[in-house]
Amino acid sequence: MARQALNIYSVIIYIFLLLPIAVVVGASFNSGEFLTFPPQGFSLRWYVAFLNNEVFMRAIRTSLWIAAVAMVVSGIIGTMAAVYYVNYAARSKETIRIAMLSPLLLPEVLTAISLLFFVYAVGIGTTTMFGLLVGHVLITLPFVFMNVTSSLEGYDPDWSMAAQSLGASRWTRFRRITLPLIKPGVFSGCLFAFVISFDVFTISFMLKSIGSSTLPIQLFDYLKTNYTPEAAAVSTVSIVVTILVVIISEKVLGLRVHRF
Amino acid sequence: MTKVTIRNLTKIYGQAIKAVDSISLEIPSGEFVSLLGPSGCGKTTTLKMLAGFESVTSGSIAFDGDDVVAVPPEGRDIGMVFQNYALFPHMTVRGNLAFGLEMRKVPKAEMQRRIDATLDLVQLGPYADRYPRQLSGGQQQRVAIGRALVIEPRILLLDEPLANLDAKLREEMRVFIRDLQRRVGITTVYVTHDQAEAMTMSDRVVVMFGGKIAQQAPPSDIYDYPVSREVAGFVGQVNFIDGFVASVDGDLACIETPFGPAEVPAKTRGRGSAVTLALRPEAIDIVPDTAGHGIPATVVSSYFSGAILDYTLAMADGTKVDVKTIARTRFEPGAQVRLSVDAHRFWPIEAA
Amino acid sequence: MQTASPGNRPYLLLLPAAILLIVFMAIPYLNILVTSFRNPGQGTPYADGYTLMNYARIFSSPLYQGQLFNTLWIGIVTTFATLVIGLPVAFQLGRADLRWRGLAYGIVLSPLLVGIVIRSYGWTILLGNNGVINRTLINLGLTEYPLPLMYNSLGIIIALVHVFLPFMILPIMSAVQSIDPAVVSAARSLGAGRATVIRRILLPLAMPGIQAGCILVFVLSLSAYVTPAMIGGLRVKTMAVTVVDALLDTFQWPLGAALALMLSAIGAVIVMIFARATRMKWKVG
Repeated sequence: MARQALNIYSVIIYIFLLLPIAVVVGASFNSGEFLTFPPQGFSLRWYVAFLNNEVFMRAIRTSLWIAAVAMVVSGIIGTMAAVYYVNYAARSKETIRIAMLSPLLLPEVLTAISLLFFVYAVGIGTTTMFGLLVGHVLITLPFVFMNVTSSLEGYDPDWSMAAQSLGASRWTRFRRITLPLIKPGVFSGCLFAFVISFDVFTISFMLKSIGSSTLPIQLFDYLKTNYTPEAAAVSTVSIVVTILVVIISEKVLGLRVHRF
Repeated sequence: MTKVTIRNLTKIYGQAIKAVDSISLEIPSGEFVSLLGPSGCGKTTTLKMLAGFESVTSGSIAFDGDDVVAVPPEGRDIGMVFQNYALFPHMTVRGNLAFGLEMRKVPKAEMQRRIDATLDLVQLGPYADRYPRQLSGGQQQRVAIGRALVIEPRILLLDEPLANLDAKLREEMRVFIRDLQRRVGITTVYVTHDQAEAMTMSDRVVVMFGGKIAQQAPPSDIYDYPVSREVAGFVGQVNFIDGFVASVDGDLACIETPFGPAEVPAKTRGRGSAVTLALRPEAIDIVPDTAGHGIPATVVSSYFSGAILDYTLAMADGTKVDVKTIARTRFEPGAQVRLSVDAHRFWPIEAA
Repeated sequence: MQTASPGNRPYLLLLPAAILLIVFMAIPYLNILVTSFRNPGQGTPYADGYTLMNYARIFSSPLYQGQLFNTLWIGIVTTFATLVIGLPVAFQLGRADLRWRGLAYGIVLSPLLVGIVIRSYGWTILLGNNGVINRTLINLGLTEYPLPLMYNSLGIIIALVHVFLPFMILPIMSAVQSIDPAVVSAARSLGAGRATVIRRILLPLAMPGIQAGCILVFVLSLSAYVTPAMIGGLRVKTMAVTVVDALLDTFQWPLGAALALMLSAIGAVIVMIFARATRMKWKVG
């Protein structure tokens, strides 16, 4: 009885979670000029409009490029920090953890403000994408750190010692033993970093330079003045791209994880 | 083969915690030595210093006369077997065995030959392409030993390698490792807290307490002629019998005990001085009260454990004595019995 | 451990992250504090000299105080609502024997994969006067006029609950998963009923997750910009929206900094009171 009720309740919550997303996807196929409900008919015209809209296409390219850079930089810096944290940090462990997670713990809007002030104070300003990229690296860093740390926690230090007793130097131990064994953690950390960066709004919004609007910013600006279902088409494509990235990575990742 | 010489080896953690306190030990080439002791006695720290995973506070370690204290683990040419095996989970059995050879840049053909030979040695030929998680505990154990041996190291170090196996497998592996070591003839240091393991496998047992070596001797000597109460108690069950010196005749002293007179090697003590003797439970035999000879005693408890009966008895003065006999007739608690003692099995420990 | 130490300088591993966090987090955060005391400028973000005026302006302005209060209120209600809604789901997801666990988990995670702008956009489609919900209700004859679902605090809270629900469910779920099932069996064997098990065993053991989820959702709600901006429109402004506008549109940096710090300080105090009240050590993740 109680279990039945809980199941029904959960299903309602799952519907609640999916509803707004489903509505956006549904609206993208509306053939009408405006977002009307019920929809006026099925059409792909807004997808055509979107594909021919250079502003959106450029925003998508910008977003992908920023996410890729943030992923690589965070991936390297975060993995290094995680290796230090698990293997060498002693008394300072909790401090390092809090510091590494701080971009996640502190309000994004505050981080955005601080970076905005900072890039102006040092004279860089928002004429380049430097501040924007730094912001994306900061925001994605905790995700890499958390994922790599947790995969390192399952790493037995004796593996490194065994390799060392067999004659492996430090770099060889890292390359042949440590890295292959924490690869799933590094992979999923980078994947998280990519997806999070693709979605970051406030930092992009406050630090964007001319012509560096990411997709969420472009969409936000567009929605201020436009009500056509084209925004829904853009959103749907964005959703599909993200899900594809995740699924493909999972498949690639999955193969590697289950090999041993 | 390699001779290991340890001199005044000391490890101090922090300011003053002496984990290992100036131990000296000579291990002849090809010998199987066990470091035996309770946890925290410094045996594992000693092994880690031999391997190079732990730095040396003072003292020296030499392999064939070459001091290795400053050499990092990867340069010491040791084979180490870890307690939890530490097999590389992302490599097959063959990959695990190949790793050390790759580090030594052994040519491909020779590598294959040596791996195959080692796989035969540890009886894992059919499992060469399995991953560690696909193997049983005993098989993983043999991979770990094979991985350590395939590089033909100067010495073999084993850190409680049987601790994670079940009882039956543990006994099989004791014999397996002992035979293998004999065949390869490699100098071996084996760390354990299990006295039976140390006894059955070693040429020599080094008993450690509190960072110091309490006694080093062949297993039977450790058992029969322990130097202290601690050693006597650690390597098996023991009764401590109080007595006093009745007479001294050259090298032999006659000790008066509740079990009658006992002759033991004389220590420099005069007549009448108090002495504690060690007596193993199996050196005492129980006969029925009707036998008419022997020391009267009452059975307090008796436990059956397969081949052996474990008794606790009370003597006339209330002193408790532990006795092990092979399981024949069983005397029930409360039964009146008589004890007969093999007088040669007394061994003087120290003054009472 | 000289011989065992893998490098002479392992701290080099931490160096890039440390530089990044100190130069681009710690120093810029201190700089916000400094900026909040600067004189406002004319045509420039700020002028020379320092003042307390920016804080004085907040304390004397009913508008800002109202927004501050409203923002905190929205944050608290959102947190409470996500907890109540998410708790049963988290407990169900935490159970290992759930049949559709993979799918359910995917659904809970899915909002995180969909951009926050898109999710908020979805809610504008749902909540608007001509939106899906109002149209449906009118067509069914349940209401004559559209219900005021958007451009108010209610709409913002509904959308925020949706946006942040995964952040409540996931920490609680992982806390529930780490509970040894034998503990529940033990409690049952000692005579505890289902309700007692939940109250005396499961809830206390899930408390770290509940606490983390609440703090996470509260902090995220206070600083949310997109959702309040899109759902609240010009009519209801939360503090974060006001701050961002003050910085980007009207270039009042010192005032914006003071407002942001004020909100953060009050938020931090509430988090600390909450952490103290739930008597758990502050621990994240």
